[in-house]
Amino acid sequence: MLKVENVKKAFGPATVLDGVDLTVNPGEVVSILGSSGSGKSTLIRCINGLEKLDAGRITVDDFDVSRPKELAEARKRSGTVFQLFNLYPHLTALHNITLAPIEVLKRSRAEAEAEGRALLASVGMGDRADAYPAQLSGGQRQRVGICRALAMKPRYLLLDEVTSALDPEMTAEVLAILARLAASGTTMVFVTHEIEFARQISHRIVFLEKGVLLVDLPTKQFFSADGGLAQPRVAQFLSKMRKD
Amino acid sequence: MRFAEFTPFDLVLLAQGLGVTIGLFLVTSLIGLLVGVLWGVVRFYRVPILMQLVTFVSEILKNSPVLVQLFLVFFGFPAFFHLNVTPVQAAIVTLSANTAAFVYVIAVSSIESIGRDQIEAARVFGLSRWQVLRLVIAPQAAAFSIGPLTALLVNQLQVTSLISVIGVMDLAKIGATLNLRTLKPFVVWTAVGILYYLTAKLVATLGARLERRLRAHSAFRCL
Ligand SMILES: Nc1ncnc2c1ncn2[C@@H]1O[C@H](COP(=O)(O)OP(=O)(O)O)[C@@H](O)[C@H]1O
Ligand SMILES: [Mg+2]
Repeated sequence: MLKVENVKKAFGPATVLDGVDLTVNPGEVVSILGSSGSGKSTLIRCINGLEKLDAGRITVDDFDVSRPKELAEARKRSGTVFQLFNLYPHLTALHNITLAPIEVLKRSRAEAEAEGRALLASVGMGDRADAYPAQLSGGQRQRVGICRALAMKPRYLLLDEVTSALDPEMTAEVLAILARLAASGTTMVFVTHEIEFARQISHRIVFLEKGVLLVDLPTKQFFSADGGLAQPRVAQFLSKMRKD
Repeated sequence: MRFAEFTPFDLVLLAQGLGVTIGLFLVTSLIGLLVGVLWGVVRFYRVPILMQLVTFVSEILKNSPVLVQLFLVFFGFPAFFHLNVTPVQAAIVTLSANTAAFVYVIAVSSIESIGRDQIEAARVFGLSRWQVLRLVIAPQAAAFSIGPLTALLVNQLQVTSLISVIGVMDLAKIGATLNLRTLKPFVVWTAVGILYYLTAKLVATLGARLERRLRAHSAFRCL
């Protein structure tokens, strides 16, 4: 279980997360919606240990990310896919994927590379294993980013607006992969602006507004008039997103 | 042997001077590279106190004339601390420290040129700070820094000529000796200049070749 309890985070005078509670059970797909600046990325960065919490607690399978000794274990259990891919530019697609399995999980190179190639093939990039990130399209880079996270066999996949830097065609190819992952039971925390897609794949949807989790409902209820839409801010957000 | 004439032995003298220059250049470059990179690592780990010390020392070395540093090491410190320092020792200490100061600057800027985003990705996937430095930062920083490092070393080769003033028998000092004896400054300094030039050219060529090799593996060749 991934548990966020009463987490607070401020940058200087600006409170960015103001007492967030969130629980994600294994097998669940939870989408996080919210307007730009509402604190979605910061929440993800708190979960994977890139930001220190000011208050509260985050545990990944009972490993507390705020305890330096437990952070490594917590990080082994979650895998992050980044908005801007964050690939290592000096390594090929394959070596981007195998770096952490070899160095952190101490897998043998041969084993890690065989798995890396299989992952690349599974996202339709079997022939691009030896290409460098600069030689790949945005959609291809993000597919490598997904493979890199999956290669660590994470229990929880954290995705922060992974398609917002992509054009519609590339977005579609990446979403297709995520849909498959969701269908195969991968646990996901999915920050997105793709409302329709979130609706299709999520078990639950939460809505973040100015650092507060306003709504946390099963998908169907989130989109029903007496559920999520009863919240004026949610209704406003959804109608604005649909117009764009 | 008439005093004012060149003899075939002068070629041997020139070769010896060139040997001393290249030898000192190689030794001080190597020490300077190691020390400068080590200082860069100290800064990367933000080691308290040591980090401030390194910045301070490098600032002083960069912003004062090498000749003054050389005099301080050869005349100043020995007089003050009652030490015995040979010209070659003084030359090695001064040139190494000076190279280290500039290597440090290049190391810091190369490390900082590596995007935060990939470093964060590596951390999230569980790599330690040392693994990030070794596997993500260093290979890219090396490719990035080869250009400035080559320029630095070419310059440091010329700077070695300063050590002739404290009596090291390097190429410049041999030039001065031959000039005094033959009174043919044009011939002597042209020959000496050409030897410096050829050595510098060699350093630049090797640097460019290494750079091409390091960057061949990474595709950020301005795509
Ligand atoms: N490192 C930081 N320093 C200062 N302010 C930050 C930092 N990171 C995020 N913020 C601020 O926190 C707020 C929430 O940011 P973010 O979590 O990126 O929102 P979202 O991902 O929902 O768009 C924004 O106002 C942003 O400017
Ligand atoms: Mg964001």
